Amino acid sequence: MKKRQPEYPSRKTKTKETREIIHALRTQQVDAIVGRRHVMLVRLKHVQENLQTSRDQLRALAAYLLSVRENERAVIARELHDEFGQALTNLHLGLSWLSRKLTPEQQQLQEKIGSLSATTTSLIQSVKNIASELRPGVLDELGLVKTLKSEASKFEGHTGIRCGFRTNAVKTHFDRAVAVAIFRIVQAALTNIARHAQASRAFIALMKRKDALILTVMDNGKGIPRKRIHSHDSLGITGMRERTLALGGTFTFKGSRTNGTKLTVRIPLSRGAIQMIRPELTRD
Amino acid sequence: MKAREGQRRKTKKRGGETYVFRLFLAGNESNSSQARANLARLCAEHLKGRHRIVAVDVLKDSTSAHKNNVLVTPTLILVKPLPKVTLLGNLNDTAQVLAALRLSGGEG
Repeated sequence: MKKRQPEYPSRKTKTKETREIIHALRTQQVDAIVGRRHVMLVRLKHVQENLQTSRDQLRALAAYLLSVRENERAVIARELHDEFGQALTNLHLGLSWLSRKLTPEQQQLQEKIGSLSATTTSLIQSVKNIASELRPGVLDELGLVKTLKSEASKFEGHTGIRCGFRTNAVKTHFDRAVAVAIFRIVQAALTNIARHAQASRAFIALMKRKDALILTVMDNGKGIPRKRIHSHDSLGITGMRERTLALGGTFTFKGSRTNGTKLTVRIPLSRGAIQMIRPELTRD
Repeated sequence: MKAREGQRRKTKKRGGETYVFRLFLAGNESNSSQARANLARLCAEHLKGRHRIVAVDVLKDSTSAHKNNVLVTPTLILVKPLPKVTLLGNLNDTAQVLAALRLSGGEG
């Protein structure tokens, strides 16, 4: 049986004309392909431009929404801490005052006030925790590096998963937007590890290179299927990616059954993104 | 002397010729519009008063494209003077287009 020859010319038989057509197509200089019966419009350039515009708009919107969310969180955290926290402290003080006024015979009242006082103390702690979760004051007070260190040890305490932290940026002051983004990405990554990874070890690295800041979070867990990484349901990963892209960075997320998961965020260093702290300002 | 005369005559003849172009376009698509504008500009600069452009919209007349073996648009065919030249794309690269049309080097 005779083998059918391929319809397309091989590399050897490519004529000058074919090469020119391929070049025109590659350089997006073709509007239409003319067939025997139909003319097919090639609107690659337009479509690509529209797609890029849509992507840019979406990215800008995502960045705006993230900043709005951070600002709202900050307002709620402040209100909670200042208003609610203050009111609970007053309540606690009032209960202590009442308790001191009671006679030893009023045992039942004493117990009731003791119980209410304990509840109030617990509420005060909860408010502090919620406020801190909403806007980590430690990020403002101690800076990104110490906050990440504290997150690693908190994570270890809560989950029992050993979590290491390494950095070469101890004396670096980060721009607020970069610090918040890195912090939130680490929070989300650690949450994912705690929920899904079934890992026994995790590791965070924040390394400053000549032209970029590299964040790596990895674990030795069961990995993540590729489908899940690109799934629309994976909101945590989408959020991390959007935060990175909003800063002009790149985001990679890899998972394998044998090596666990590894996320790498690379944020280009622009002027103002980070500054070296002058020695006299170092708080170490 | 003879050779010089011959050369002069050739140049003179070439300079006086009317250039006939057939430009195959796809409506007002971006590359087609660019090709149309680029060709008009080149002709105004280098072939003032001695050119003729026949624009063919393949969306309206694909048979003509087929007859001329035009597979993609925009395609420019220099019909006259011979030899025939076919150029693909939006004609943005002026130097390359002039060279291909034998118009570079002040010959036009």
